[in-house]
Amino acid sequence: MTLVGRGLVCSYGPTRALDGVDIVAGGGEIVAVVGPNGAGKTTLLRALSGERRPDRGDVLLDGSPVSGADPGWRGRVGLVSHRTGLYRKLTVAENLTFFAALHRISDARHAVARSLETVGVATLAKTRVEALSRGQAQRVALARSLLHDPGILFLDEPFTGLDPAAAAALESTLRARRAAGGVIILVTHELRRCLGLADRVVVLQRGHKVYDGETGSADAADLLRFFTATSSDAS
Amino acid sequence: MSELRRAWLITRKDLRLEFRTGGRLLSMIAFVVLAGFLFAFALDHNLVPGRDVAAALIWLVILFASTAGAGRIFDAEEEEGAFRHLLLTPVSRPAVFLGKTMANLIVIWLVTALTFISLTAFLDVRDQGSLTAHAAVLLPGTIGLAATGTFFGRMSRHSSLGDTLLPVLTFPLLVPVIYLGATSTARVLLERPWTEISGSVRLLWAFAVGSVFIGAALFRHLTDE
Amino acid sequence: MSTRARIAGLALVTAGVATILVTHWMMAFWVPSEAAQGVVQRIFYVHVPAAWTTFLAVGIVALASAVHLWLEDERADAAAVAAAEGALIFGAIMLITGPLWGRIAWGTYWTWEPRLTLTLLLWFTYLGYFLIRGSVADPRRGKRFAAVVAIVGSLNIPLIHVSVEMFRSLHPGPVVIKPEGPTLHADMLATLLTSLAGFTLLFLGLFTFRYAVERLRRRPLPAAAGEAGEALI
Repeated sequence: MTLVGRGLVCSYGPTRALDGVDIVAGGGEIVAVVGPNGAGKTTLLRALSGERRPDRGDVLLDGSPVSGADPGWRGRVGLVSHRTGLYRKLTVAENLTFFAALHRISDARHAVARSLETVGVATLAKTRVEALSRGQAQRVALARSLLHDPGILFLDEPFTGLDPAAAAALESTLRARRAAGGVIILVTHELRRCLGLADRVVVLQRGHKVYDGETGSADAADLLRFFTATSSDAS
Repeated sequence: MSELRRAWLITRKDLRLEFRTGGRLLSMIAFVVLAGFLFAFALDHNLVPGRDVAAALIWLVILFASTAGAGRIFDAEEEEGAFRHLLLTPVSRPAVFLGKTMANLIVIWLVTALTFISLTAFLDVRDQGSLTAHAAVLLPGTIGLAATGTFFGRMSRHSSLGDTLLPVLTFPLLVPVIYLGATSTARVLLERPWTEISGSVRLLWAFAVGSVFIGAALFRHLTDE
Repeated sequence: MSTRARIAGLALVTAGVATILVTHWMMAFWVPSEAAQGVVQRIFYVHVPAAWTTFLAVGIVALASAVHLWLEDERADAAAVAAAEGALIFGAIMLITGPLWGRIAWGTYWTWEPRLTLTLLLWFTYLGYFLIRGSVADPRRGKRFAAVVAIVGSLNIPLIHVSVEMFRSLHPGPVVIKPEGPTLHADMLATLLTSLAGFTLLFLGLFTFRYAVERLRRRPLPAAAGEAGEALI
């Protein structure tokens, strides 16, 4: 399974958030997208997930174009964003059962239990989301994104506000998904963390891709220096 | 069929949130009761019998309450960004629209019943005519209000003008509903024969069905980027 | 702006303004006064062409909006917004001249004449069209929303028309003198037709200019990137 973004251009009026970005993510691979604020990271993620149709360019899965307008595609995608995306007045189980039903999962109760188990918050099922800590809510959000066992997982700043234990749990879940052959695309501004986790890193700056390479390769340290320089430029 | 079931799941979820949050419902209820109260004070009952204006006021109060409520329909969806995730499930856009409209409609029914009671009580309308006939007029009218409110409520979420924009967008469209609804309700209050009303009710149904179908068909233009 | 658009727009506007000047001369010095209403009836030569132009513009907006929603074609949206401005301006002319005329002819500023009522409601719909367009952070979305408003507004026209007709039968207003009665004097008809031509040419000229400007405004800026895009999310 390979997800490819080709020549992606996304504009907000006269502002080009993405200006011709190419990206490839294979199965069993975690690709980190990093860059300073306003580099176009979130826009790239939205274009790849199909939430925003790009002005130009295509998103291809194994060579065939995909679109957010296609329910079949939406059923194969999981998303974790920096906001939890949960209903605060519903319990954890109510939230997840609702999303499981929308995902047409036949045995919703089982799927919800298994998914909560995976991220280690099974005991919270009957708690309302408003009573959860940030880390707990984020784990529930991760559980929601795994409900329908998506082949492709998008994460937008998932580490924001997580305590070290929750962050470690998230990392181990991602490693497990990678081992299962999933495509994982991770947007973050924390380069250090993703160097340890991701297989490849893509650096965006002002809507352009300025770096794309394996994290294990020799120039990772250079990258870190380069990135620190550019982000301090930007801020 | 399964899309209708998913629409119903959205309705149930919305109503659950509505009753757990309570704020929107409570303020709509307070609004309609207070509005009836104020109208009673604003009228000189020696010059204008409450009965003469009750129908018009009932419809205007329902219109204002549902318009005010429409701006809040998507609050719970946006609070933590849940709507983005809802849209990323395979659920179809017409189903989302129908589900949200149905929940809105049930809330509007509650408000309508209260409006009817509060205005007929405060304006001292003793003979109210057939309640079945009232329901037959109010049902298609409120469907039209619910569909229009849900549709433009979604649109105004994206506008920096927010709720102030809603009346500008919806009132011109809702002129037929208010006119047909208020004149029909007035006739029911006066116990005029149904044949005098049936034509208007048919038009109200035309608006109701039209607004639901058009809303469902165009809703993806409001949700998808 | 392309030279072609500039020449076409300039030619149309010049022809329109010239024709309207001729119309004013005809209105002031040439056409006979209508017997019953006297000199005030001459506002008819502004009111009716303004109304016609408004509905021409409304038709263009509805059509172009549908095309824009369907094909996401930028040109259709540029045409829609150019025509919508025309609808707003000529609609305002119609809504101002109508009551002025009505005050003398009918003895009242406002009457529930179906076309007058419809124009007022459409005028507000078009106000909404521009408000939603300008107040949505993502322009692509704003254009789509505006197109939806235009289409929904157009679809509601028949129901508004039926309602106003019913409403009028309940509220018999002052005796309406049909402005375009069958016994229109030949000179009056000539003046009206000249004015219609003038207004239409002026509208088409303004439309051409606005369309070209709109297209020009949307040429993407070279390699501008930025914070705004992310901030929108």
